[in-house]
Amino acid sequence: MAGKSGRSINNVPENPVKKMIFSWEGILVLLLIAINIFCSIFSEFYNLSSLLRQMPVYLAEVFLMLGMAFILVMGEIDISVGSIVCLSATLACLVSNAGVPFPAVFLIALLVGTCCGIVNALILTNFQELPPMIVTLSTQIIFRGIAEIVLGSGGSVSVTNTDGFRAIAGKVGQVPYILFLVLILAVIFAVILGKSTFGRSVYAIGTNRLTAYYSGINVQRVRFIIYTVMGTLCGLCAMFLISNSYGANTTTGENFEMDAIAMAVFGGIMSTGGKGNIAGGVISAIIIVCLRVGLGQRNVNAQVILLIIGLLLICTVGLPNLIKNARQSLKKS
Amino acid sequence: MSEYILELKGITKIFPGVKALNNVQFQLLPGEVHALMGENGAGKSTFIKVITGVHKAEEGEMFLDGQKVDFKGPKDAQEAGIAAVYQHPTSYPHLTVAENIFMGHEIVKNHMIQWNAMYAEANKLLENLDADFDARAEMGTLSVAQQQMVEIAKAMSTNARIIILDEPTASLTRSESEKLYRLVDHLKEDGVSIIFISHRFEDMYRLASRVTVFRDSQYIGTYPVDGITNEDLIKAMVGREITTMYPKPEVEIGREMLRVEHLSRAGYFKDVSFSVRAGEILGMTGLVGAGRTEVVEAVCGITHAEEGKVYLEDEELHIRKPADAMQKGIILLPEDRQKEGLIMSWGLGRNVTLPTMGKYAKHGLNDNKKEREISRDLLESVDTKAVDIFQPASSLSGGNQQKVVVAKALGQEMKVVIMDEPTKGVDVGAKAEMYAIMGELAKQGYAIILISSEMPEILGMANRIVVMCNGRKTGELMRDEATQEIILDLSMEKAGRKGAD
Repeated sequence: MAGKSGRSINNVPENPVKKMIFSWEGILVLLLIAINIFCSIFSEFYNLSSLLRQMPVYLAEVFLMLGMAFILVMGEIDISVGSIVCLSATLACLVSNAGVPFPAVFLIALLVGTCCGIVNALILTNFQELPPMIVTLSTQIIFRGIAEIVLGSGGSVSVTNTDGFRAIAGKVGQVPYILFLVLILAVIFAVILGKSTFGRSVYAIGTNRLTAYYSGINVQRVRFIIYTVMGTLCGLCAMFLISNSYGANTTTGENFEMDAIAMAVFGGIMSTGGKGNIAGGVISAIIIVCLRVGLGQRNVNAQVILLIIGLLLICTVGLPNLIKNARQSLKKS
Repeated sequence: MSEYILELKGITKIFPGVKALNNVQFQLLPGEVHALMGENGAGKSTFIKVITGVHKAEEGEMFLDGQKVDFKGPKDAQEAGIAAVYQHPTSYPHLTVAENIFMGHEIVKNHMIQWNAMYAEANKLLENLDADFDARAEMGTLSVAQQQMVEIAKAMSTNARIIILDEPTASLTRSESEKLYRLVDHLKEDGVSIIFISHRFEDMYRLASRVTVFRDSQYIGTYPVDGITNEDLIKAMVGREITTMYPKPEVEIGREMLRVEHLSRAGYFKDVSFSVRAGEILGMTGLVGAGRTEVVEAVCGITHAEEGKVYLEDEELHIRKPADAMQKGIILLPEDRQKEGLIMSWGLGRNVTLPTMGKYAKHGLNDNKKEREISRDLLESVDTKAVDIFQPASSLSGGNQQKVVVAKALGQEMKVVIMDEPTKGVDVGAKAEMYAIMGELAKQGYAIILISSEMPEILGMANRIVVMCNGRKTGELMRDEATQEIILDLSMEKAGRKGAD
């Protein structure tokens, strides 16, 4: 069928560099620089080597952000991740103390996380009318409940053989392994979300689920995969947490889901779905890590750090609207 | 005192980059039903919003009873007795009918809502409109037609003297439309003046005494309905003559492609069988709610039939989800473009390649360059009026959005194309283009199922017509034996026998 009017439609995209400078990620990079300048003025100990030394404990949560980014882009939420981390960490410590070799412990942690993810995925894909918020709230309570039964109320467990955990907390020069792992996974996840057909499906589902379904996208399969991988990432996070604290207790991983969501939303990933990318999430995660390290060095209370991050978050959500309103009122006058 | 109840002169409304209305005029007589027609994008909706105070015109004057008025917002217009009823009623589905009617002007005594008085008053209004439901009913449980009635009752409760109906019949069945016509007559008798927007000519002939036509944001003219013909109107609306509305090419009908046998889904349809051949256009018609859409949705795996078989080229199919149907070459163009057909905020290109991106991908990664080329070619092949492939689907008119839906299908391996109400809410120019595309597809040997409530469209395009009523197939007619009367008879048959419920 040839077009009758012979009208031609442009298909050349605009210059990507220009787009990048004015994007949210561009603003975040500027903010990252600003935060680093602020931290080095605020704390005399803040420099690259102290940052690298102190960041691993905070980096473990960035794994969760990667999975959460997919879930948020899909327009959904998973608030059970903190509990999955707790359960994975608890069981990993117990099997380690039972004399299981470290590689097997590592796999078991990933497996426990994955299984929890599959539980979420199975419920959500088989009962599609249930809201993810409620389902994962229930599993949040259940997974932590199991950990509490295992540990006893308020109990804790320490690993007796710390060799393996010390090994994964190692460094190349000054750079900890976990930073490499975070960056490698970030690149992989960014490519999948941003460049692959799978990623495009995720955006389609997050923007208009019905159209995605009518267009032949296997919506439930995509959801299943994402919730499952989210669980696996929780297992990974759990292992690196143990490598820092050599143990687990009933409060391990508490509020991690909110941290992961905060990092992602701060990075421009909208909780309403269909918007944002991994790059933004990673930059915002690094900003939050830097802030925690810098403020922590001057013994700023953890609650105050949370408060500052909360304020930053509200500004993030509000800023684009404020700019839009200002522009409109300028145009009018 | 002016002879007009409402008069607008020299209205110009500018949106960033577009002149939505350019020096437009309009006069409404007291107690008159005045049709406002024009293609999508002609400026009708903007014009209505100027009257109702939603938009403020840059230039121009508005007179009510000869007095110059200047509305600051919708509330001013409401107080002046102007009310609008939109195509999709903007109501509160979980509240009762009475609450919806009195939203914003509840009957209050000592800061307490007087529920009994409100229900009584609401029921009085509804009775006046000959409504068949109670004011205590929950809004969400009503049909679109009933919800519109509530909106009209709401307008009456504010003592509106001018009621604007924006495409009220677009989602109504024939009998519901008939009821609406009577309602409009009734309002007219009460001395209410009505502005009526519609794409359906029959609405205008039935109701209006005068018609005003807009085209490309400009006022074209106002004509008495007596003596005007379809051709005159189309010419005024489109600016050119449409010679053949239904270009039905002579096509050799090939072998049977899709055969559906005894398909049933409890509560939706029962024992439906039909088949469609290559090069054939099979029309499926019946009243809204007769189960047509539900049948094809079951064929395409969107929902699942409990009984029955589907064959494609004599091979039995077991379709569980839309992806399975697509793989077999059964492509559904869904009825609701905005909710099911397109991702409105996405660029046209990505919309077009959404079902097929996997085909072009290398190692799971998207081939953006190839996608851009293919989507442009497909969009051009259906003559989409667009600037580039990156503009969002929401920026196009209804007719062009429908073309994007077609382009999306064309990128796939097709055998059977199912078009569900492809011209719903589409203006007359774009309709003709859609029929041309349909004819072209039939010529290329695809089997086509056309679901439509518009009788002329079914009679004009289909080779064979299946009529449904209350979830059952009530008849099958060949093109030359079908008439409007027979089809209507078949689509009402059982409804009549079973009674209204």
